[in-house]
Amino acid sequence: MSDDRNIIIGIDLGTTNSLVAFADEAGPRLIAGPGGEDDVLLPSVVAFDDAGRFQRIGGEARAHAVEQPTTTIHSIKRLMGKGVADLADDLLRLPFRVDRRKGGDGRDVAAVVVGEKSFTPPEISAIILRELKARAERHFGCSVVKAVITVPAQFDDAQRQATRDAGQIAGLDVVRIINEPTAAALAYGLDRTEHATIAVYDFGGGTFDISILRLEEGVFEVLSTNGDTHLGGDDFDHALIDLFTREIREQFGLDITTPTIKQQLRTLSESIKVRLSNRDSAPVEIAIGDDRVYRRSITRAEFEAMIAPFVDRTIEACSRAMKTAGLTPPDIQQVVLVGGSTRVPYVRRKVAEVFQRQPYTALNPEQVVALGAGVQASLLAGVQRDILLLDVTPLSLGIETLGGAMGKLIPASTRVPCRATESFTTFKDGQANVKINVLQGERELAKDCRSLGVFELQGVPPMPAGIPKIDVTFLIDANGILNVSAVERRSGQSAAVQIIPAHGLTRDEVRRMQAEALVHAREDMAAHHLIDVRTTLEFDLHKARQMIERYGHLLNPEDRDALASEIHDLLEYAKQCTDAHALNARREAFNRRTIPLAERAMSEALQEPQGTRV
Amino acid sequence: MTAEGPILPAKCLRCQSTLTSPIVCDGCRALFSPPPGTDYFALLGLPRTYAIDEKKLNAAFRGLARAVHPDRFTGESQEAQSLANRLSAEVNQAFHVLSDPVRRADYLLELAGGPSAAEMREVPDGFLADVMVLREEIDQAKSADDGDAIERHRESIAARRQDNMEQIADLAETSADLGAPERNLMRRLLNSMKYFDNLLQELAADPLAVQWSEPRPSGRADVRAG
Repeated sequence: MSDDRNIIIGIDLGTTNSLVAFADEAGPRLIAGPGGEDDVLLPSVVAFDDAGRFQRIGGEARAHAVEQPTTTIHSIKRLMGKGVADLADDLLRLPFRVDRRKGGDGRDVAAVVVGEKSFTPPEISAIILRELKARAERHFGCSVVKAVITVPAQFDDAQRQATRDAGQIAGLDVVRIINEPTAAALAYGLDRTEHATIAVYDFGGGTFDISILRLEEGVFEVLSTNGDTHLGGDDFDHALIDLFTREIREQFGLDITTPTIKQQLRTLSESIKVRLSNRDSAPVEIAIGDDRVYRRSITRAEFEAMIAPFVDRTIEACSRAMKTAGLTPPDIQQVVLVGGSTRVPYVRRKVAEVFQRQPYTALNPEQVVALGAGVQASLLAGVQRDILLLDVTPLSLGIETLGGAMGKLIPASTRVPCRATESFTTFKDGQANVKINVLQGERELAKDCRSLGVFELQGVPPMPAGIPKIDVTFLIDANGILNVSAVERRSGQSAAVQIIPAHGLTRDEVRRMQAEALVHAREDMAAHHLIDVRTTLEFDLHKARQMIERYGHLLNPEDRDALASEIHDLLEYAKQCTDAHALNARREAFNRRTIPLAERAMSEALQEPQGTRV
Repeated sequence: MTAEGPILPAKCLRCQSTLTSPIVCDGCRALFSPPPGTDYFALLGLPRTYAIDEKKLNAAFRGLARAVHPDRFTGESQEAQSLANRLSAEVNQAFHVLSDPVRRADYLLELAGGPSAAEMREVPDGFLADVMVLREEIDQAKSADDGDAIERHRESIAARRQDNMEQIADLAETSADLGAPERNLMRRLLNSMKYFDNLLQELAADPLAVQWSEPRPSGRADVRAG
């Protein structure tokens, strides 16, 4: 396949669903999957077999989630860029196993364990990205390597890095990471000359973001952003699951611990949530074995009381975002809703209240981010040049200072790209390395912020303590990702910066995973091919057997026996053969041998109606 | 493609167009590292003065932000992209500093030779004692829930802040010609600004506690306690 066309695709890699889009002069469009035009949502679910071999993806994988809860991986986005220590609550709820990744020099990187194998979140996400890439390649009829991927605005550096790593593992060149609410604003494609202040309320399956943007002369400028990377529609489901679990325990003295029932409750809760979006109550029936059934009905009022604490948190974040931008509700001309959770009527009501305005919902809230990613991709590809996106960094960046305080270098909501320079020196005579703990967060103490990792400056010229002056530049690029460089001021020499990511993968690991993924993809393809050949062969042999039974008398007995034993041998061979090519060659040879019989059988069959049989 | 040197070359080294900006060529879109000593005013193509035309500043920023943004260099070399990121960070920082009167005055003082806030932490004589008295009075008014007293304090502090800012502005207008004693005075006045801001913030109600139940007139809300 050629890739001479400068195609850049836009990808919304979501907690629940993922989508791929592109834009041309006619505007942004979604790329559909094999199911036809409406098959645009790829459920972000990947299923493995018990040995940890890739099995299914998307809707098919989700359909089997109840049967194989421990090997069906969903909500992987919640694990991106995280350590096991960060995930305590999630891990109790997830039906699959998550453990600390082995062999990681003290880093805490979460990994999903399936059978003997373990997968880091970027590797699982890469499987989803590969499928989206394949859809785009089928659509364009050529290879596609460049992509824009969206992330929640509140994603920290580790989570953004993990997303970029996932792209690389999937064989994609991630030309830009953009924030989901910003993408949504782009999707609305407001007129270049329009002046407006827009609030984007993005409440998805696992994350919440609020961004306030100003549009002026084709420049989309993010004024402020706020939110919570651990707040979403999943929490609504969990509230329902917790309620059912509690009541079942009270009524029947039964503890729900099996992954299958947990997964069933999850599926049930999702449908209750959907049902209550347009009805006032939803009946619940759960068979818990021994002919016992747990029954109740959930009213919309009950559901709203349950989710109110979560929705309140989003509303508080909206107020904070307005405050940071120095705005009040009347200053905002448009409120845009994004994400599946904004389908809940209670959420819409609360948003209308806080902004004193009915939200705008012309576009499908589940598609708008992908469409915006497609628009940004077309801007980068040079399809259109008149729109510019100026985004901000969601979190303050700082370093750990003596005494464990957070020394802020770049405050939250600073326009990116941005940079800060800080001088460091040595504590001991002749000290060659200086370690800097880089932090992200809004708290005063380093231990309450998130460590992005330890940056080690190496090759400091030997000098007495306190004499070297190393200027370290922290640059947050347009992707919101940190780049660190260092120069020793006296010597003018740039010092090497060795990064040990606290929760991420090293460059070498990502490269290795990319190579492995390629091999796996080939193996998967080969395995797939083998299964196809085997199935076809079995079908051919079955037909041949039928033919012998019916028309075997047309052959001389030796030939007939030879053919029968060949069928037997081939069936045995097919069971152990792992080489699709060799098997197919045998299949074709066998089919050639049956041609004479087939021809005779054919002419015999034509005479049959006249009816003489020996 | 880097043009190092103290003087801005008149012509682009790549396409020979006349340069109007120290970091980007209008003709061929080439980017350059700014010559050492390029200040934020020069970066944005504005005169080095305290009084600033906000419209011109905004237009200059938007134009330059567009020209050097990494989005424009997606297909180009790693070096070009990394330079675009560095220059965008510079342009953003320049706008951040120049668009705010206090930061702009502080920057002019730095260009004039300082002292910086780190070098000199003092505030004008008697100022801290004033602040302590004020803070006590505010606490009393707050605990007595005396809305009128709080509003009187807010108005008087806002007026003092305004007065302080005007003094800073006067000095900043002629910052290049200021002697050391005047620069020290400017430093002290600048240092006192954050005390005014903190006091005003204490007097404002917590916006999270405010219910936006009824429509408000447009513009910045005047949030009051009580």
